[in-house]
Amino acid sequence: MATVTDEPTTAAAAVETRSAARPTLGAPIIVVRDLRKRYGDLVAVDGVSFEVAEGEVFGILGPNGAGKTTTLEMIEGMRPIDDGTATIDGIDVRRDPREVKRRIGIQLQASAFFDELTLTELIDLFGRLYEREVDPAALLAMVDLTEKAKSQVRTLSGGQKQRFSIASALVNEPRVLFLDEPTTGLDPQARRHMWGLVRLIRDRGHTVVLTTHYMEEAEELCDRVAIMDGGHIIALDTPQTLVDELIGRGFRKERVERLANLEDVFIEMTGHDLREGD
Amino acid sequence: MRFGVLWALFVASGKMFIRNRAAVFFSIFLPLIIMLIFGVLNFEGSVDIDLGIVDESGSSQGTALTSELEGVDYLVIHQGELDAELGALETGDRDFVIVIPAGWSVPPPGTDSGLTAYAGSGDPAQLQVMEGLVQQAVAQALYAPGGGGATAFVPPLTFESVESRDLGYIDFLVPGIVGMTIMQLGLFGVAFGFVQLKRTGALRRLFATPTPPTYFLSAQVGSRLIIGFVQVAILIGVGLWFGLQMFGDWLTLGIIVLVGSVIFLAIGFAIAGWAKNEDQAAPVANLISLPMMFLSGVFFPRDAMPEFLRAITQFMPLTYVNDALRGVVNDGDNLLALGPQLLGMSVWAVITFVVAVLLFKWE
Repeated sequence: MATVTDEPTTAAAAVETRSAARPTLGAPIIVVRDLRKRYGDLVAVDGVSFEVAEGEVFGILGPNGAGKTTTLEMIEGMRPIDDGTATIDGIDVRRDPREVKRRIGIQLQASAFFDELTLTELIDLFGRLYEREVDPAALLAMVDLTEKAKSQVRTLSGGQKQRFSIASALVNEPRVLFLDEPTTGLDPQARRHMWGLVRLIRDRGHTVVLTTHYMEEAEELCDRVAIMDGGHIIALDTPQTLVDELIGRGFRKERVERLANLEDVFIEMTGHDLREGD
Repeated sequence: MRFGVLWALFVASGKMFIRNRAAVFFSIFLPLIIMLIFGVLNFEGSVDIDLGIVDESGSSQGTALTSELEGVDYLVIHQGELDAELGALETGDRDFVIVIPAGWSVPPPGTDSGLTAYAGSGDPAQLQVMEGLVQQAVAQALYAPGGGGATAFVPPLTFESVESRDLGYIDFLVPGIVGMTIMQLGLFGVAFGFVQLKRTGALRRLFATPTPPTYFLSAQVGSRLIIGFVQVAILIGVGLWFGLQMFGDWLTLGIIVLVGSVIFLAIGFAIAGWAKNEDQAAPVANLISLPMMFLSGVFFPRDAMPEFLRAITQFMPLTYVNDALRGVVNDGDNLLALGPQLLGMSVWAVITFVVAVLLFKWE
């Protein structure tokens, strides 16, 4: 079991970059201190503290009911904070949730939109909600939905919907983008495509905070991860450090990882191209 | 208030409605179809003649004449003062009025009856037939049983013509359908769309933006009001084409439609704000709308109901709305004359608004 990190060090120093051209990480843009949420007798979030550095991709992992989404929603200003503080870009979420929302982009776990509007109309509308002029074509091109620009949301496949949801969360050029389980329910091709999109967004200078159930995805994307269980953060570090620490404690897999696994077979045989038959 | 944001939401809200085929069908075409069906069926078919009798004679002969006429199948006798009966003739509630003058007694057969008679100005052919029927009834009543008029029938009455409204079923039906439409738009057009947005999470997505959710609510109300007015315009337009007569002024009608819409929009939002999904909203919306659809005088006059039912149903919101609409369209009432209905509507508007605020939950 890794050490519980109540006062994480600044991310920048600890990050080991996986990809070649990783931007240098900056000062903390999110600071969370002793966050708590209770629903009746159930303590959903029980004193969570962490910091996210500017430009970082930060993952929150944990089994269902660990408090990932509640934590995320409190930081986003979508859910009242019972106790503790969260600041984004220097703004206290409890004091000025509207100003925080102006600076962040949110992709909700279940993303629904007004079904009768086209993608272009929706992007335009979301722009107006931030009182900004946006270029729907450019945003839709970024998430590979140019062909669907004039379609209504109900005609989109699961992966397309998730990508559109991300495009809609980018209309205000957010300092931080929150993604709640962005790849749940997607096929391997769509998942890989989403990974590419997240890297692209990071490379454009947005900080990303995401939750996921896929460890492979966390290793692939996240500079650092926090593992939550029972409303607590039980580990927080770079994926590589967490793995090294586990091995350092003498853990060995019963079977050494094969050179390839079934997912590699699947991708090798079916290719990387997106399958969105419509 | 940032009007740019409000306008964008308003336009989006209107587009969403127009592109939703089910919503358009139920709120615009269904009332139109119902109106056409009832209009074609035309429930005017009865030959009952509404005859007002003003008995000023004070004699037993006058009373005897009245009771003889009451025995005639096709006559519906109303008794009252001269002014009231002539007023009723003008508004189309009576077809004829007969006055039995003071000191009147039965004249000899073959002479003028000495009665004063008034006829409204309806469809001439129909009027002629009805006049004949009244003449016959009066002749028989005067000389019953089998009095001397049998050989040479001399009409006992000379009718004076009174300018009157000839109201048909279409005149009754259209305001009722307008009232029903306003109700359906508020209860179903708003409640269901909103509950769906709540259930799918589309509403939550709006909360992720810095725009306050009340903007979206205002835009929804605004767009639904506009749609409501368009619907009313279509219904009345089609009604006019079918022979509907408009005796009131359009501004008064607009005000009644507006206040009525507020009541039912508030009920709609109360349901939408309370319900978690469509399955919860549907039974409640139906429970509220169905009784009113049949008991608030949409298709048939409430006069036909048993006394106790009429006493209860007069307090229903749709009853006030329908009565006010008919007041404007059929009788040309102004806002002052519609005071009682407007008071009833205002009380309901306040009640429903407060209930909506108390029950409303965003999630």
